[in-house]
Amino acid sequence: MAKGSDRVRFNVGGKIFETTTTTLANAGRDSMLGALLDENWNLNAGDGAAAEYFIDRNPACFSVLLDLLRSGELHLPPHLPDKLLYREALFYGLLDHVRAARWGPFDGDRLRLSSSIYGRAPSDATAIRASPDGGCCVAHGRVVHIYDWMLDEHRPINLDYQQVNDAGYVDSGHIVVTVSERPGHTIGGMGLFSSSSGELRHRFRVYHDSKAKTFTAGALCFSDSQFKIFASCKGRSNEYGIGVWDQNTGDQSDFFYEPPGCPFGEADELQWIKGDNFLMVATIFPRIEKCFIGILDFREKNMVWSWTDDGRMTTASLDEKRVLHAIVMENNRSICVVNQYEDLGFLDLRSNRGGGVRWSSRSKLLKRKVRGEETCYPKLVMKSGQLFSSMNDTISVFSGPDWVLTSTLRSSVGGSIHDFSIGGDRLFALHSEENVFDMWESPTLPIL
Amino acid sequence: MSSPYKKNFRIAALKQRVEIDLKHGEKTCKVLERAIYEIYNCNASGLSFEELYRSVYNMVLQKYGEKLYNGLVATLIWNVKEMLRSFKVAQNDLFLVELNRKWDNHNKSLQIIRDIFMYMDRTFIPNARKTSVHDVGLILWNDIVLHSYKIHKRLVTILLDLIQKERTGQVINRNLMRNMTKMLIDLGSSVYQEDFEKPFLEASASFYSCESQQLIECCHCGEYLKKVEKRLHEEIERVSHYLDEKTEPKIMYVVGNEMIASSMQRLVHMESSGLLNMIMGDRYDDMSRMYGLFRLVPEGISTISDVLNAHLQQIGKQIVTDPEKLRDPVNFVQCLLNVKDKHDKIISSVFNNDKTLRNALNSSFEYFINLNNRSAEFISLYVDDKLRKGLIGASEEDMEITLDQVMMQFRFLQENDVFEKYYRQHFAKRLLSGKSKTVSDDAERSLIVKFKTECGYQFTSKLEAMITDMKTSEDTMQGFYASQVSSDATNNLSVQVLTAGCWPIQPIAPCKLPFEILGMCDSFRNYYLGTRTGRRLTWQTNFGTADLKANFEKNQKHELNVSTYQMCILMLFNASDQLTCKEIEQATEIPTSDLKRCLQSLACVRGKNVLNKNPMSKDIAEEDAFMVNDKFSSKFFKVRIGTVAARKESESEKQETRQRVEEDRKPQIESSIVRIMKSTRVLDHNNVVAEVTKQLQSRFLPNPVVIKKRIESLIDREFLERDPADRKLYRYLA
Repeated sequence: MAKGSDRVRFNVGGKIFETTTTTLANAGRDSMLGALLDENWNLNAGDGAAAEYFIDRNPACFSVLLDLLRSGELHLPPHLPDKLLYREALFYGLLDHVRAARWGPFDGDRLRLSSSIYGRAPSDATAIRASPDGGCCVAHGRVVHIYDWMLDEHRPINLDYQQVNDAGYVDSGHIVVTVSERPGHTIGGMGLFSSSSGELRHRFRVYHDSKAKTFTAGALCFSDSQFKIFASCKGRSNEYGIGVWDQNTGDQSDFFYEPPGCPFGEADELQWIKGDNFLMVATIFPRIEKCFIGILDFREKNMVWSWTDDGRMTTASLDEKRVLHAIVMENNRSICVVNQYEDLGFLDLRSNRGGGVRWSSRSKLLKRKVRGEETCYPKLVMKSGQLFSSMNDTISVFSGPDWVLTSTLRSSVGGSIHDFSIGGDRLFALHSEENVFDMWESPTLPIL
Repeated sequence: MSSPYKKNFRIAALKQRVEIDLKHGEKTCKVLERAIYEIYNCNASGLSFEELYRSVYNMVLQKYGEKLYNGLVATLIWNVKEMLRSFKVAQNDLFLVELNRKWDNHNKSLQIIRDIFMYMDRTFIPNARKTSVHDVGLILWNDIVLHSYKIHKRLVTILLDLIQKERTGQVINRNLMRNMTKMLIDLGSSVYQEDFEKPFLEASASFYSCESQQLIECCHCGEYLKKVEKRLHEEIERVSHYLDEKTEPKIMYVVGNEMIASSMQRLVHMESSGLLNMIMGDRYDDMSRMYGLFRLVPEGISTISDVLNAHLQQIGKQIVTDPEKLRDPVNFVQCLLNVKDKHDKIISSVFNNDKTLRNALNSSFEYFINLNNRSAEFISLYVDDKLRKGLIGASEEDMEITLDQVMMQFRFLQENDVFEKYYRQHFAKRLLSGKSKTVSDDAERSLIVKFKTECGYQFTSKLEAMITDMKTSEDTMQGFYASQVSSDATNNLSVQVLTAGCWPIQPIAPCKLPFEILGMCDSFRNYYLGTRTGRRLTWQTNFGTADLKANFEKNQKHELNVSTYQMCILMLFNASDQLTCKEIEQATEIPTSDLKRCLQSLACVRGKNVLNKNPMSKDIAEEDAFMVNDKFSSKFFKVRIGTVAARKESESEKQETRQRVEEDRKPQIESSIVRIMKSTRVLDHNNVVAEVTKQLQSRFLPNPVVIKKRIESLIDREFLERDPADRKLYRYLA
């Protein structure tokens, strides 16, 4: 080895590369190239600078990966297939590096449609969920299709082939699936699966009076700070309410029986409110005629806030504004709702039963379109200070304190958007008319 | 659709490939096995990392993960067993060295093997839910090496032996110790805890229990504590050198338990060196050491506090029941203050201001101050003394400190209302006896503010009214003299108008004033009632002072400063030469007891005896005769003739004050009962008593018997009634 130099020479599949140990160290100790540097292998010992280290791999990919280690950026030559690069990256233990450099940090105003993935399931899709590492899963009828972040499809998962109601990632390796109860069975409708192998790892049970009961599980949500899983549950003998399980043990830790007049067991949307440690439960048209939203405190076992549009709906004219989805805003101070005209409305959480919805008057500015038969109910998602709302074939992005429309996402295929989800710095949108979902990414940050 | 031919062909091809791969797989496994052997024998440098890594990769890729994994585990087991064989035979001293060397080797090898099997670790193991390579290595070491019975026992015995050696003062190889404990910690905290920590703590317990027994026989308390402290430091140092830091609280507990907790009582009560001795001898170092060590064990602080409590109560009791001290209230209070000061200092400087101990101090103070029911009076007298003369010339800060001390004592009193009574009396005397008698208005006011913050407006409203009276009187007097056209030059009158009810003064019949004064008094009365309506004036002749000019033999002129009563008496002698006590009484109408006291002070005090008495005895009988002592002389022009004042209350006065206090308490108790009953409507007797006590305890501790009487009185007056069904229940009527 040349004196004072940390140069290293590789012969990868016949092609010579020269680099430095500093660059290789960027790979980290947990990678093949990092381990190679270990003194046990005396990489540099022996015959001076001319010595090459032979690696029997694809030189084109090595070139790309070496560049990634040097610059932190990923630049794929047009002829090189993604999959080939991923495979090589896996060999060197650099897959995480590739993933981190593949797409940029999430920004609702810089999203690009990066690909559309066509599925195969014949029945209607119910939900799409993004995983924390950029993969996603699509609930189709009675199975859930799983795609990792490389968009490779894994074995679909099912729970006794029952109708899937909701799915969600506990972490990037594990998915919880809720299904309708299977008649004649004592075990219920919720399971934990490995996202890579599709194996059923755990079946969640509901106990009433210390007896396991069959149940239909609906909406799901997770509290990462408290390691809890929440799901709306309907039991056979009117045991309706919210079940709570521990993420680590999988055991039931609590059950919040619904008070009379509060249809929690059929909830469409659960949301854990970080900081306040409350759970928002929303049951919405068309499941029930009125919309009911409650905020639950599990420590005190009481409902600290509730709202319903009951009474306003009695004279149900078609033009009446109907709450169709609800989420708690990130500041925990209000709940955002949306109606059939994609008006945003806000409910104040600080005053209990504090009057009605403050509707923004956006729809007045837009032309009200005549609706076709196939309408999808609007959905709301809040992500890093931006509000996303889906309506027909478009997702609108609202920003700023007054929720100004800043971007519109629309893809040409697939028809109206049935569901969408944001995770792992990606946005996935599931269409209802054709069996396709779109993946939106923010490009990597500009060089300057 | 593919043709049947093609299908057959494919299946055949697949079968063949599997066969080839199987052979190849076996071969790869052998290569890896060989490599692992070389690694364990420190020959890794001859191997090619890339080749081995690629072999693992290929095996996993071709779905031989399971086979590869099992092969790896088997090879590891073989190698570890091989290592075990080599140092089983090592002799005592070398055993640890050898074990350490092998463990080092195992760790290094494991790292290299892990690098080679990295791809399997990353892909196959999580999917197949197997234990990672590194963890397998540790588990095998633990199961095969450590839990081979002889090794385990030997290791623990040797480690404990070494620690024992170090405790007895020998030098051991701490580095080796650290490596060994680190090995146990690396193998998992449960391994360390179960295999080492538990026996270590047991051995330590028996060691220190032994040492404690030896030491306590031959050392006095301070010395013993010093040794324990040293031991504790040693243990902390040991933990920092070669044990897990989580062991520190546990070993501290063991040392504390064996050396302190078990002999705590004996240490504290050790004759001539125990805690009492330390307190009396002001041995701050020893006390602070004791506190530091006792704090570590559960009952430690309360043991100290018990001793402190008993000690304080004993000396406190001595003070409050010492008849010698009772004679001098100022000294009595000063003694208490000294005791409090001394222990305050101990607690703040030695006992780290410990809450429990401070509470102990306070509660014992509260206990013995209230042991003597004259404490309230004495404290008030102490204040009186301080405000009259004690604080003359003191700086503002010193004054504040004294006042705070007074407040502190006041807080200990249970019977705040008794104190208020006395304080009001003494305060009144201070105010009435003229400006010169109290140090400063500021001090008085400052103290009143303190009482106000402590006890509320109610407590001080009367005191404040008294101050206001004094002020208005000044103004009134100015107005009076301004209105007086023909001013009488010989006599000067100064009147203080006191609001009845605010002052602790029993209205008594005024004595007969000499006619010289009477005229002045009447003109003041006319002036006062003329300027105000709806007022009534009564003369309080038992207060007030007068300055008299007197001529004695040899042209001796003196100005006599006397009380109003004394003035009345002396003025009589302008008219007659000799009077008996009885005659004086008839002429002045001064109450007998006061008269006797006045005569005593005029006739029986040396150097101030302006009157002569016949017979010359101290006691005054009705028939005793008095005449002017013409031979009176004094160095001073002004002579102040004090009253032989019972500064401290006499027994009968005390009774009287008590009675008045009890009388004042009645309405307070009643209003409290009514308040409680009004809010609850129905309550049983015991609860009423409890509630009343709670409400009133800031002012005094009501006697349950008195409460019962008050309830009965309220029933008589139909505020309450007894429940017809349950006689213990009271109902509120309104």
